[in-house]
Amino acid sequence: MKADIRLLGSVYAAAIADLSRPHPVAAERVGFISVALGKLSPNHFLLLGHGYTAVPDAHYLDYPRAGACIGPDAIRAAMQRILDTGAGQLHVHLHDHSGRPRPSRTDLRDMPALVKSLNVVGPACAHGAIILSSDRAWAQVTVPDSRQLFDASAVTVVGFPLLFLNR
Amino acid sequence: MNFSPDSFSRQSFLGPNSQAQIENCVVGVAGLGGGGSHIVQQLAHLGFLKFVLFDRDRIEASNLNRLIGGTAEDVSNHRLKIEIAQRLIVGIRPAAEVEMIADIWQNCADVLKRCDVIFGCVDGFDQRRQLESTARRYLIPLIDIGMDVLVVEGSPPEISGQVILSMPGEPCMTCMGFLNDHSLAREAARYGDAGINPQVVWSNGVLASTAVGLAVDLVTDWSKSLRKRAYLCYRGSTGTLTPHVRLDYLPPGPCPHHPTDGVGDPHLRLL
Repeated sequence: MKADIRLLGSVYAAAIADLSRPHPVAAERVGFISVALGKLSPNHFLLLGHGYTAVPDAHYLDYPRAGACIGPDAIRAAMQRILDTGAGQLHVHLHDHSGRPRPSRTDLRDMPALVKSLNVVGPACAHGAIILSSDRAWAQVTVPDSRQLFDASAVTVVGFPLLFLNR
Repeated sequence: MNFSPDSFSRQSFLGPNSQAQIENCVVGVAGLGGGGSHIVQQLAHLGFLKFVLFDRDRIEASNLNRLIGGTAEDVSNHRLKIEIAQRLIVGIRPAAEVEMIADIWQNCADVLKRCDVIFGCVDGFDQRRQLESTARRYLIPLIDIGMDVLVVEGSPPEISGQVILSMPGEPCMTCMGFLNDHSLAREAARYGDAGINPQVVWSNGVLASTAVGLAVDLVTDWSKSLRKRAYLCYRGSTGTLTPHVRLDYLPPGPCPHHPTDGVGDPHLRLL
């Protein structure tokens, strides 16, 4: 299974702007990118990021052992967005460095449970997580034909300029 | 054949990472005639290595006035235009991967979705509308080129042309006024001043070079100045390219013709 992610430039810019803001409690911010699905071949999917939704300050939990911890309200809002719009959801956060970001142990531990919740309400969508650094990206996704998270093979930002964050 | 690291030294001003960006970019070209053949030749010189070419037509004698790479022998052999383009590209860059689709792009739209940038070198307004619609659906920048010859009785003919960068999320060719009901209706009625698709090599070259320049800027950001759509008008009698005046009067807000939440494959829903 393969997946490429293509993000609208304005979505990427909105994510970077929001995720770069300090939070009153958490050390970092998270958000969600809405994605539509395209198929390049039977086993090759295209995830098209067309919207960004910030997580409201009040939806974070005060949990010092993680950079950011969002509560059930944030997850419910993402699930409701799937039901309302039919768009898949990519959890997104920033790592403050250049070069290819790596998921933390917390990311790897908690992400499957989050994605499982998203798949419950949107089994026909693609979901997952994406980590952005200043110039690269890392992403894992699920697609309708496979509930297992796997690495996205390409992340591209369609803006001025065109950015190949992971290829 | 291996190239030395300084093979691209003359274009190193494009940026330290520019060659990697160029080599990573998958370029689609719809139409390999007078415009598209210029474009692929220049892209190959620049070091682009991943091509998807769409054209089902074979070269004819009347194409030799403008089809770059075409030969009299190709005409005798009824060679496909995409084969000529592939030969041209691989002759310059043997490592290039060229996927050739001997069909109209609409019949192989899944292949088109893979492209990072599409060059639209198609004939007619309706073909342009269809290509832009698909490019928007899959968040792919489209660079459209085209030319025409206008004849007004009592005056010499005038060559006009356009280069348009249609970026997802930005105003489209309808927003910019290039595509409209009038032009589509006129085309449907087969209206034309100087016969079917008059084309000459030099104006195609100007338009193709300008389109390639936009693509290189989009991919490398070398000028740091390409930050919005482009609509350039060519006038053959003066040899000038100027930004279209409509760009100054575009309605504010997102493009209403291609909403960004309308992307992706169509859904099948049982009602």
